[in-house]
Amino acid sequence: MEENKELELKEIRAKLKELLVTSLSLEDIKPTDIKDDEILFGEGLGLDSLDAVEIVVLLQRNFGLEIKDMNEGRKIFYSVDTLARYILENKKK
Amino acid sequence: MNIAGIGIISNRGRGVQSLEKALEEGWIPPKDSSYCVSEDIIKDKVILKEARRADNFTKMAVLAGYDAFVDSGLPPEAKKTLGIIVATAFGPHATTFRFLDDILSYTDANVSPTIFSHSVHNAAASYLSFMLQSRGPTLTITQFADSFHQAVILAQSWLNENRCDYILLGSVDQYGEVMKYICGQKLKIADDGKIRPFSFSKLPVVVPGEGSVFFLMTNQTTSKKYASLFPPADANFKKPDMCILDCDGMCGSEEAYLSIKETGALVSSYVPIFGSMLTVSSFNCVAAALMLKNQCHYPTPIQDNPHGLDLCKIHQPAKIDRISCIKYGCKREKREFFLEK
Repeated sequence: MEENKELELKEIRAKLKELLVTSLSLEDIKPTDIKDDEILFGEGLGLDSLDAVEIVVLLQRNFGLEIKDMNEGRKIFYSVDTLARYILENKKK
Repeated sequence: MNIAGIGIISNRGRGVQSLEKALEEGWIPPKDSSYCVSEDIIKDKVILKEARRADNFTKMAVLAGYDAFVDSGLPPEAKKTLGIIVATAFGPHATTFRFLDDILSYTDANVSPTIFSHSVHNAAASYLSFMLQSRGPTLTITQFADSFHQAVILAQSWLNENRCDYILLGSVDQYGEVMKYICGQKLKIADDGKIRPFSFSKLPVVVPGEGSVFFLMTNQTTSKKYASLFPPADANFKKPDMCILDCDGMCGSEEAYLSIKETGALVSSYVPIFGSMLTVSSFNCVAAALMLKNQCHYPTPIQDNPHGLDLCKIHQPAKIDRISCIKYGCKREKREFFLEK
């Protein structure tokens, strides 16, 4: 069971990294360059508020998930890993 | 008004030197029946550092505009009184259609706000203003085949009214899937990749192109000057030393250009280098400015001459004081501006 969850998380992380690079037009960054626990905003990957809006759209389009509460969004958008875990948990509901 | 700086992005490269080289080399066959600007030409990590979200339409305009300002050698303080006028026939239509496609694919609730903000016509002018930190008026003009001519008239008005001391006056147009479809449906694409400017045909052939040109314009005396540009109202109607024609097939029948034969003027057209686009007047304008500055003739790239015009055929030194740039629109309306040494 745990193994399946890890496998699924790995797939989601990989897909998320691909989507972040293409949807946010991250130049000179390959999906594999993004670490699972790398901070997405500010000092980490250096994303900004416009990117946050794009991530909201990206989650809606690709995973059917809607984020309305931005306080909740802060925790979810912390890293690729937190995003992947949110997607996995909410997809299963 | 004087042209103090030039920036250009075309299928032949970036910058005035790339165009001078292209004018000397002449015609080369298009790739995939069009003259597109390759991604390599619009890669600039320094200037486009803040523009990773920008589309190619904006990147072409920003680089050409930025280069025109740098080429002029004006000090940074000039940006305080720098206006921007961008002329475009279709705006960032590739992004506009991408936005519309997304509405169809994902519904209007799930479209990207970034794509929307880049789909508006003023996106390129806004980026340019932001990048240069200019403080003058900024405007985008869209009037189909007349866009650049209207922009020239407006630039002269702004300078005469002292709304700003300097203006980045330019044009940008993009070729993409939608334009490819429209050109394929509405126009006759040249089988051999050659635009024939002097055929003056009822059904002229086209080879679609894309790119951007910017001129740093001012009424002031500057250390660098290519030429002076006059809209028709300010022209002195002296006989030009040569005429450059915009006949690139985009406005339908070109029979109206036949009247040039009666004038006996020396004629040229550089559209086969840039490709067909409704803002091609601005590209011919660069060629005219370079000829005046360098005091030389550049050969017309395609020299098919069924009407026996006096064509500019070879690259050679020449005494040129005045050039007329002529365009006939879709309803045979004549548009003209003049460049003087």
